[in-house]
Amino acid sequence: MNVIIILAVILFILMKLIGKEKGTKSFLSLLLNFLIIFVAIILIAHNLNSIVITILACILISYVSLFYINGKHPKTTAAFLSTLITLAVLFFFIYFIGYAARIQGFSEEEFEEISLYSLYIGTNFTKIVISTIIMGLIGAIIDTAISISSSMNEVYIHNPSITRRKLFESGLNISRDILGTTTNTLYFAFVGGYMALILWLKDLHYSFSTIINSKVFCSEIISILCSSLGVTLIIPITAGITSYILLARKPPSADNDIKSEITDKAGL
Amino acid sequence: MKKSLYILLGICCLFLLVFVNNNYNFYKETIVKITAVKLIKEETATDYYGNKDILYTQLLTGKILNGTLKSKSIELRNQYSYSGAADNQYKKGDALFISLDDNTKATLTGTIKGLKRDSYIVLMAVLFTVFIIAVGKKKGLFSLLSLTFNVILFSLVMDLYLRGINLLLVCSIVVIVFTVFSLILVGGYNQKTFTAIISTLSGTFLTLIIAYIVMKLTNEKGVRYEEMQFLTHPPHEIFMAEILVGCLGAVMDVCITISSSIYELCEKKPDISRKALMDSGMEIGKDIMGTMTNVLFFAYVSGAIPMLLVYLKNGFQTGYSFNMNLSLELIRALTGSIGIVLAIPLSLYTSVFMQHRHLKKREQVS
Repeated sequence: MNVIIILAVILFILMKLIGKEKGTKSFLSLLLNFLIIFVAIILIAHNLNSIVITILACILISYVSLFYINGKHPKTTAAFLSTLITLAVLFFFIYFIGYAARIQGFSEEEFEEISLYSLYIGTNFTKIVISTIIMGLIGAIIDTAISISSSMNEVYIHNPSITRRKLFESGLNISRDILGTTTNTLYFAFVGGYMALILWLKDLHYSFSTIINSKVFCSEIISILCSSLGVTLIIPITAGITSYILLARKPPSADNDIKSEITDKAGL
Repeated sequence: MKKSLYILLGICCLFLLVFVNNNYNFYKETIVKITAVKLIKEETATDYYGNKDILYTQLLTGKILNGTLKSKSIELRNQYSYSGAADNQYKKGDALFISLDDNTKATLTGTIKGLKRDSYIVLMAVLFTVFIIAVGKKKGLFSLLSLTFNVILFSLVMDLYLRGINLLLVCSIVVIVFTVFSLILVGGYNQKTFTAIISTLSGTFLTLIIAYIVMKLTNEKGVRYEEMQFLTHPPHEIFMAEILVGCLGAVMDVCITISSSIYELCEKKPDISRKALMDSGMEIGKDIMGTMTNVLFFAYVSGAIPMLLVYLKNGFQTGYSFNMNLSLELIRALTGSIGIVLAIPLSLYTSVFMQHRHLKKREQVS
C-alpha cells in the first residue's frame, strides 16, 4: 500500500472520530481544495493566463474552505470578504517584489538536476512565482480571517450593545494571540520544508554574502515573509469588515439569533 | 522605555535600508550598475514538445561600482527567454555581480554572475518588521524573535548533523527546548503553559511515531526521494526530521488555542462541569480543524508548482508528474494534519485533567 493513501486514511478516520460531521466536511474540503489546485495547474500548463487562473482558484478555495465548513453566517461572509481584499492588496505587493527580485524559476544550483528537461516552455515563470506565493499563503489567511471573525461574533453575541469602535478594538486584541501562533505554524512548516535546502547550502560552503544574494535563498525567504505579511495584513482588514458587517445588521433580536443558528446547523 | 525601543528599532531599519543600497565596497566581487539596455536579438524557438518560446539577447552598458576599476564603464551581454525558468532579464538600474573578462580591447567586458538581491531581502524584512509590530505590538515582536531563533537554531542543527551527530536526535532536543522556551516566553510560567507544553510535545512525537510506523510498514512505497536528489546525505533521515519540525508549529498552535480557551472558560465560570468543559473544548477543536489543516496543505503543495509545470510541459503524463513532485509535500501535509487532529483531544484531556486536579487541591485546602 502507498504511504500517501494510508496517511490519508488515518487522517480521515481521526477527523471523523474527533470532528464527527464537521470532521468529515473538513476532510472533504481538503480533497476539494486539492482538486482545485490540480485543475488550476493543468490549466496553467495549457497556456492559460496563470494569474487569472490563480485568482479564480483562490476565490473558489476561500469559498469552499469558508462556506462549506462554517455555513452561511455574517461571520463567514466577513471572513470571505476580508480574504479577497487582503489577496488583492497582497497581489500588487507580490507582483512588485516578484518582478524586482527576479526569484522566478530555478537557481544555478539546481541546473544540474533540471538540465534533462526543456526549460523553454513558453510559460512565464515570473507570473508563476506570484501564483506560487499566493497559493502558499491562501490557507493561512483564510484560517486567520475565520478565527478573528468568529471570535468577534462571540464577543458581539455576549455583548450586543457594543459599539463598532469597541468591537473593532476587541477584534484587534483577540487577533494578537492568533498572529503569534499562526506565524509560528508557518515558520515551522517552511523551515521543516527547507531543512534539506539549509543542509545543501551548508554543503556548498557558501559565504554569507553569496547566500543572501542567491536566488534559491531569496525566493524561500520572500515566500515566508509574504505569507507572514498576509497573516499580519488580514488582521486589521478582518477586524474592520467584521465590525462593520455585524453591526450593519438590523438591531439584534432573539428571532434573528435563532434564525442564524438554524442556518448554521443546516450547514447552509 | 517602550517608546524608545520602537524608535531604536526604526532607526535600525532605516540604517539597514540605506546601508544595503550602498554596501558595494564591502563586496569582493565586482558590482556593476546598469545604465543602458539594448535588445540586440530576438528569435522564436520551439522545443521537442512543441512549446513555443522567445529567446532574447540584450546588450547592457553599466558602471563599475567597486574595486580598482571603479566608475569605469563596461559592456555585458545577457541571454534570456520569455519563460525565464533559468535566466533573468535585466533592466536599467539593476546592480549585478560580474566577473571581468581578460580585457585587451578598448571597452571592458565581463560575465554576469547574478543579481544583487540583498536590497530586496532587506526591504521585505523591514516592511515585515514594521507591519508585524504595528499590528501585533508585543506579540508581533515575539513572533519576529521566534522566526529569527528558528532560522539560527536549525542552521546550528545542520552544523551538528554535518559533524556526524544523529539528526533526529538533535532535532528532538531542539524541538523540546524550543517548545519549552517559546511557550514560557509567550504564556508566562504557570500551569496553563505547562499543560500546553505537555500536549504539544506528546502530540508532535506521537505524529512522528505514526509517520515512522506507516513508512516502515509500507517499506516507503510511494515516497519519491528524487526531489532531494541533490543531497549527498541519505534522504530518509532528513525527511523524518523535516516531518518532526514541520508539524511542531501547527501542533503548538492547536494546543495553545485549546488550553487557553479551557482556562478562560474555567476563569469565567469556575463552577463549570467537566462534561461542559469537554464539550466546549471539542467544539473549538472542530472549528479550527478544517482551516488549520488547509494552512499546512497550501504551504507545502504550492512549492511544487514550478517543477510540476516543467514536467507537464516536457510531455510527462499527468499522474507521473504529480506523483514525482508532490509525494514528499503531500506526506508532509498529511502528517502535519494528523498532528493537528491528534493535538485536539490531547490538549483537551490534559487541560481538563490539570484543571480538575487543581480545583480538587483547592477544595481540600479550604
